[in-house]
Amino acid sequence: MRTAYITGTGTCLPGPAIGNDAMETYIGTLSPAHSRLGRATLRHNGIQQRHYARTAEGQTTHTNAKLATAAIRAALHSARCRDNRLDLLCTGTTQGDLLVPGFASAVQAELGISNLEVASFQSVCASSLMALKTAMMSVQTGQSEAAAVSGSEYSSRWFQPSFYADDYRNNPDPGIEFLRYTLSDGGAAVIVEPEPLPGRRALRIDWIEQRSFADRFPNCMYAGAATNAAEATPWSVYASPSEAHQAGAIALKQDFKLLYELFPVWIGYYLELLDRRQLNPNDIDVFLPHYSAESLGQEMQRLLQATGAMIPQERWFNTLSERGNTGSASLFVMLNDWLERSEPQPGQRLLCFVPESGRALAAFMHLTVV
Amino acid sequence: MTITNQIDTGLTQSATPPASASGTSNPEVQQVIRRLTRIWGDFEGRLRAVPIIADAHAGRIRLADYRTLLKDHYAQVIEGSGWISRAASSVSRPYLEQRSLFLRHAVTEHRDYEMLARDFAACEGDPNELTDARKNLGSMALSAWMYHRASQPNPFDLLGAMFIIEGLGQWFARSFAEAVTQSLALSDAQTGFYRYHADHDPDHLAELEEVLGSGVLDLPGMADTLVETAAVTARLYLLQLEEVGHYG
Repeated sequence: MRTAYITGTGTCLPGPAIGNDAMETYIGTLSPAHSRLGRATLRHNGIQQRHYARTAEGQTTHTNAKLATAAIRAALHSARCRDNRLDLLCTGTTQGDLLVPGFASAVQAELGISNLEVASFQSVCASSLMALKTAMMSVQTGQSEAAAVSGSEYSSRWFQPSFYADDYRNNPDPGIEFLRYTLSDGGAAVIVEPEPLPGRRALRIDWIEQRSFADRFPNCMYAGAATNAAEATPWSVYASPSEAHQAGAIALKQDFKLLYELFPVWIGYYLELLDRRQLNPNDIDVFLPHYSAESLGQEMQRLLQATGAMIPQERWFNTLSERGNTGSASLFVMLNDWLERSEPQPGQRLLCFVPESGRALAAFMHLTVV
Repeated sequence: MTITNQIDTGLTQSATPPASASGTSNPEVQQVIRRLTRIWGDFEGRLRAVPIIADAHAGRIRLADYRTLLKDHYAQVIEGSGWISRAASSVSRPYLEQRSLFLRHAVTEHRDYEMLARDFAACEGDPNELTDARKNLGSMALSAWMYHRASQPNPFDLLGAMFIIEGLGQWFARSFAEAVTQSLALSDAQTGFYRYHADHDPDHLAELEEVLGSGVLDLPGMADTLVETAAVTARLYLLQLEEVGHYG
């Protein structure tokens, strides 16, 4: 089997960086109570600035497909890869611009590149790692010579006041406001090839692993139903989309209490992985978590220390606070930032971690600088 | 002997610097806690699927169900000080310091069943029902297992069981208390037991590190037995919750 390498990375973080004071110009305000929940969220998530694919006047500047496309263009440039070398396009996103067809088709159309196999992965933050795993395996098995992989989100369209049912103004939900003040827009991409470029640093993909715990948890971050109860009606089963909208079934939601309960299974999975892969946390040079150490909480850090599984915090690399939380794009944004800001040395080992609260899954990727 | 030396340094907190007392630098201790944490993670993840807990989160639980749960917990917890005392009496020299740990826990368990009795009364439960409370089918299995392990010489594998059960307080108790409170419009006085554990559970991790680092892992096969006991206890604890209200 061949080896797969990340030979280029690129991002599209649209428009200027928007600070905390200005963000409500872009996502709107629902009520002072909603804004108070927003400020509490900002204290908790530590995000200082982010990007939105819209103007201050509310005009969309990039669709989700355009964000992915611009990021892939940047990644192709960084990998010195001609369009016609590309034979596979794998996309990950939480929700494409259209309900049907698949998102990768829209991105290919935007790219205008012919002779591509496409694969659309729809999940939440880990969807881009699902896409990358398919690209990795295609390259490893000789079915692809050059694959583009994107993660992209146009989250802010969910957060416009009119996206919510009318009575949401009177009933602020901390879970919904948490997402409004946490998620933002952006795309990022990587190029995967069977050879590193001569004379240039590349990242060897050693493995990608993911496990879902949907068998034991209800939905935690979701849209398309008014609640996460098993019997909740899916939006598509209401008499009409407008009825679903007024029932609160369209809004993007987060079940906070449940989120807290997901940590033990994620930690358990991480510990299993360390043992199975014979990984010593001290051998990891850079840890790229789609999460900040602060959000992990004292108890979990303590537990990781007690189990000899804590990667020293000075090796954590995370740009969420300045780039915003761009969901499925986040990990590739961080990789791109790390490659640009550090001086990668051959042999350095990177461990990437993407927990996805959607319905409780976690993904890990191990990379080596070559 | 190394064992005696480690006891001397391990459990006398004041006499030892925090680094060695905490045991975090001891790879053998870390490996045991890692294996225990994996079992605990799996256990916590399975709790949501247990019918009475799923009902609490889905708003399907009734006050009578919650009362039954309190009663079954009462019957379970009242055994707790029993098996811990048994464990203490099974400890022999040179582990006398560790024996006092079991004794301290037996006292805690005692306070637990008093809290459950208060919650039960606050939920309009007849106190006489508690006098006659039987263990449910899962509790029967769990108690029998605990007494069995506690009767073995130097049963430090029960530390694994305690890690699983005490971890519940830290992580699960709060969300369960909130779920039943929301479903049944309960007052704090009716959920005292769960709230107490959510708010006050001590850092059981530090205690575990300390005692694991005190020489008990030098007992032949103890690390594996400890992990096995934790796994069996986790499974039986779930069974006890699955069988709430079922007494044969």
